[in-house]
Amino acid sequence: MTVTNPTAKRPKAARSKQSQTTTTAMLFLAPFLITTLIFFFYAFGRAIYYSFTDFNLFNTPKLIGIEPYRDVLADPSFRRALANSLIFAIVTTTLQTIFSLLMAVALNNKIRGIAFFRSAWYMPSITSSVVITLIFLWLFQRRGIANYLITQWQAYQPIVLTLLGVLIVVQIAQVLWERSRKLPAGWLDPALAAVSALIAIIVVLILNTTGLVSVREVAPYDYQYFADKWISIGGVRVLSIPLLVIIIQNTFTTVPTLMLFFLAGLQSIPGSLYEAADIDGATPFQKLMNVTVPMLRPVTFYVVTVGLIGTMQMFDQVAVIGSAAPQDTLITLAFYVYTNTFKNGAAPVNMASAAAIVLALIILSMVFVQRKFFVAPEAN
Amino acid sequence: MKIQNALLLSLAVLASSAAAQTTIKINGYGGTDPAVVGDLINKFVKPALAKDKITVVYEPLQGDYNKSLTTLLAAGNAGDVFYLPAETLSGFVATGKVLPLNGVVNTSPYIKSLNTAFTQNGRVYGIAKDFNTLTLVYNKDLFDEAKVAYPDNNDTWTDLQTKLTTLKKNLGNEYYGICLQPNFDRFGAFAYATGWNQFDSKGKTNLADPRFAEAFNFYTGLAKNKVGITPSEVSEGWTGGCLKTGKVAVAIEGGWVVNFLRDNAPNLKFGTALMPKNNKTAKRGNFLYTVGWAINSGTKNKSAATKVLNILTSPAVQQYVLEQGLAIPSRIALGENAYFKKTDAGAVNSRLVFQGASDGNVKAFNFGPQGPDWSKPINDALAAVLSGQKSSADALKKAQQDMNTFQNR
Repeated sequence: MTVTNPTAKRPKAARSKQSQTTTTAMLFLAPFLITTLIFFFYAFGRAIYYSFTDFNLFNTPKLIGIEPYRDVLADPSFRRALANSLIFAIVTTTLQTIFSLLMAVALNNKIRGIAFFRSAWYMPSITSSVVITLIFLWLFQRRGIANYLITQWQAYQPIVLTLLGVLIVVQIAQVLWERSRKLPAGWLDPALAAVSALIAIIVVLILNTTGLVSVREVAPYDYQYFADKWISIGGVRVLSIPLLVIIIQNTFTTVPTLMLFFLAGLQSIPGSLYEAADIDGATPFQKLMNVTVPMLRPVTFYVVTVGLIGTMQMFDQVAVIGSAAPQDTLITLAFYVYTNTFKNGAAPVNMASAAAIVLALIILSMVFVQRKFFVAPEAN
Repeated sequence: MKIQNALLLSLAVLASSAAAQTTIKINGYGGTDPAVVGDLINKFVKPALAKDKITVVYEPLQGDYNKSLTTLLAAGNAGDVFYLPAETLSGFVATGKVLPLNGVVNTSPYIKSLNTAFTQNGRVYGIAKDFNTLTLVYNKDLFDEAKVAYPDNNDTWTDLQTKLTTLKKNLGNEYYGICLQPNFDRFGAFAYATGWNQFDSKGKTNLADPRFAEAFNFYTGLAKNKVGITPSEVSEGWTGGCLKTGKVAVAIEGGWVVNFLRDNAPNLKFGTALMPKNNKTAKRGNFLYTVGWAINSGTKNKSAATKVLNILTSPAVQQYVLEQGLAIPSRIALGENAYFKKTDAGAVNSRLVFQGASDGNVKAFNFGPQGPDWSKPINDALAAVLSGQKSSADALKKAQQDMNTFQNR
């Protein structure tokens, strides 16, 4: 018969259970940890090493100090890429933050069919950015939809303007007449507006059949969106038109995702705050600025951070457009890194690595500055 | 114990048979090339190498060939023999992975300008597989309709301009004389005709050279009164597409346009003429678009790879390639081939493409050591003038500034 000592066994069992749990956890985490170690830490370490060498994919790397950084900073293409990336990040992040907030506020209302609108407005976010880029490339071609619509607008301008003019004049006349009869009538009274619209349509139809107002013959509008065109301030090229198209596209595709964060944030704001504001007689705009925006500061921090990181790393849209637009107009830091790594034959991989490190440092400092100065106390 | 011995024995047998069998891997383009090269390997290479126990496999690289080849070379996985496009020669030579062929392969049977295209610092790195040059491809019906003579092989720049202007005048607004790509890859041929050189002795490019300006003004001047248009103006991506629409009389293209027109505009009657001659120099200019066979300097089977390369560039293979209408071969001797004496539109085009390689100032299509970005200032200038945004003088001035910045990098 063996004698067992329960007091000595328990801690050992507990310890082995503990280590078993740790092992299980590590096993489950292993795939993620290994990929992160190899594809992030190891790759990042290699990039730092290469950025101080003369590596060109084919030679044995030799340390040459900070020369690659000096070459990169002296490269006009890098400077253009840096300027483009910063402008793109600032403009896009601002636009997408404002629009997603407004959209979230709009979708936070209890209106009929809200579920439909929420899913409809989320659609751009789930579509592949490559596909959206191709669609935008098609929209903004020289013979694309954008130019077609502008041409149509120019051609139908006389009819549209006459219609609007008549509508406004008739509406004013009606309101004044109602008021002269001491009846209350607002300038935008819907019943009167319907009558005005009907009258305007009839007038335009008559004018059109008599030939007084007709569709103009105009040459097709011929704007090249993907050409070397720039918005300059004081002679300095600030924003190129092709990049502007990408800004529009990027805002269009990222707003829905960011809107979701705001929507979640909005639903956690206590209704009592709005009730108090209502009692104080606040307008909807005042409520937005004084209740919603301050209460959403932690979410805004997150949205802006994610936006800045995403926009600073923008690559796919530029890669898809490729040579359809002059390179200077679209080159971003991520694209600069790519073009310097994948060349035909020997490639200045050391410069690409240096640029990648510069990009990482910029993003890090952006997030750091933002965290230091802009985040609300309640987020910490 | 017995089992162990048997295993060892069978391993030894396997190893010896593997050592006897050499495999040569070839890297090349995807698309239709796997079928063509596969055919060549089965018909010519395999029978010739059967006794040497050399197996040959073709591994096409899909997508961007140059980038894929770079990655494979860097990783040490590239083929023993591979396609080497002349326009990316410098980049690949810089890797040290391309074997110089001097003393390995006899280059004398091949057209001289083609050998030059693969030569750097006196060393030949590739043997032209086949090639193309530029020709004037024209729509016969439009010239007949306008009662203007077809472009011919003796036309000067002025003759061509007069023909195109008359054609446009006679046919009216719906039709155009010539499609002009706002790109160095077409325009450059005109610049070469004047005797302009892409690089001077110090490797710099001079766009302020009056010869360059002469060609630039002629090329962009063709767009006056919409005689010449860019492909995008007829919603096309290249000048072959312009021809397909039936509204443009002339395109500057190579032999590749023949099959395209056969497939996309089977009823279009087209003719081919040589590039026009510059009025002053009385010479034409032309580009050589060529891809060569090269050997990987890291190959473990250099002699087998050389054997394969020699078979792939042999007269028998080139004769076959030409007769199949696949490409224009690179051997001088094939100039006398019966195929070139045929009179159908495709054969005439092939003959003129072949002739173009040794007539006038012919240079390989190449951007120099700094790669394709070299042509950007020129392309921008062409686009700006052809679309009417800038005057020729302003555009050239800006192009030179940009070129200086680029070359000083």
